[in-house]
Amino acid sequence: MTAGPEHPGAGPAPAAPHPPGPPPGDLAARQAELVAALVTGAPVPPGFDERLVGIARTALLRKRAGDVARHWPLLAAGLGADWPATFAGFAATRPTRGSLRDGWDLARDLHAAGRLTGPARDELAAREATWHYRGADAPRPRRLPALRRGDGTVVIQFAGRVHTLTLPGTAARPGR
Amino acid sequence: MTAGHGVGIGWRPEISGFVAGLPGLRFVEVVAESLPPTGPAPAALADLRARDVAVVPHGVRLSLGGAEPVDPARVAHLAHAAAVVDAPLVSEHIAFVRAGDVEAGHLLPLPRSREAVAAVVANVRRTQAELPVPIALEPIAAIFDWPDDELTEAQFITEILDRTGALLLLDIANVYANARNRGTDPVDLLDRLPLDRVAYVHVAGGAEHAGVYHDTHTDPIPAEVLDLIGELCARHRPPALLLERDGNYPAGDVLRAELDAIAAASGYPTVT
Repeated sequence: MTAGPEHPGAGPAPAAPHPPGPPPGDLAARQAELVAALVTGAPVPPGFDERLVGIARTALLRKRAGDVARHWPLLAAGLGADWPATFAGFAATRPTRGSLRDGWDLARDLHAAGRLTGPARDELAAREATWHYRGADAPRPRRLPALRRGDGTVVIQFAGRVHTLTLPGTAARPGR
Repeated sequence: MTAGHGVGIGWRPEISGFVAGLPGLRFVEVVAESLPPTGPAPAALADLRARDVAVVPHGVRLSLGGAEPVDPARVAHLAHAAAVVDAPLVSEHIAFVRAGDVEAGHLLPLPRSREAVAAVVANVRRTQAELPVPIALEPIAAIFDWPDDELTEAQFITEILDRTGALLLLDIANVYANARNRGTDPVDLLDRLPLDRVAYVHVAGGAEHAGVYHDTHTDPIPAEVLDLIGELCARHRPPALLLERDGNYPAGDVLRAELDAIAAASGYPTVT
């Protein structure tokens, strides 16, 4: 077969029954529709098997949860068995911005809701002390020393090195 | 790849020590995007190169099947990765991973249409123009298909290879996954693919969730996949086969047993 954009002189193709679904020739728009269905919760495009696309969406969230847990081990460990569902609830309608930023955005949300405790809060404090991250752009290293509160701790970053100090008068956490 | 590379393993930082300790190892793969965009390769990979272990950069984010042209910066990164590890070839997928500026976070299937063939061919040619080495293309495992396929899987793959001159990276676990999920015969696909174009073969484990088999790379290799290696090698033995593991890493003994099972199924020497 020689049909296609590389053979513009091939002449009109013989009439053929149209396949179901949107017409061909708009691959970019159709790919965008499919990605939106998978990562932003948009409707499944016509013609696709809704059950199978739903299974793919779930598998994608499971894979993303594993990738984020590798970047944010204490965040994931702190949530234990609730980690996959917590991450999925956060990520189901948000396209990934990379595992580092996805975990960071979730940690900030949980912190704002008062749900971040123990080593997971120290993990976030250490990142906040080391990097500038305003949410809209990729994080970049801080050039100046910084200090952030953890959970009964204070995290100090100086010349790129991070030190975690337990605050006086705070009961030592078990397991530390 | 040339004959003699035999059984290899995907190099990952988490199993770097295990990989370094494999006495018979002749080749590894590294995720291309995990290498720095400039400067030398990580020391662990340089050590493997010093032992004359071949290192193949394997791209996962190029989006060769995207309707838009590939990002020149990503192509340049892949070319740099090939140069710094003195690679014999690189590999990427017949898939798309983003549309517009939205990342899917995963390899997504293409419609098996002439329009999609043209998009892949154009992007592979743009990439080949910048690469110092050949590229091998890997068909993916798809949980769902597009509603308007015009070509069979074998026709789709063969046409892309014919029009680009690219090699084939055949993932035997993907062949198994797709056949199981579509209810087709995996051996029939092997009979229809240009097996003389296979540069190397991927082998990985998977598991069933919700009635669908997933190519997870975090589970054991099913016996059926090892049997398919035998079917493949009975037709045309590939120059090399590589174990992919991407998380939930088991004890070294378990990984060694999987490498030995691949060697036994293909007739290549053990590397453990």
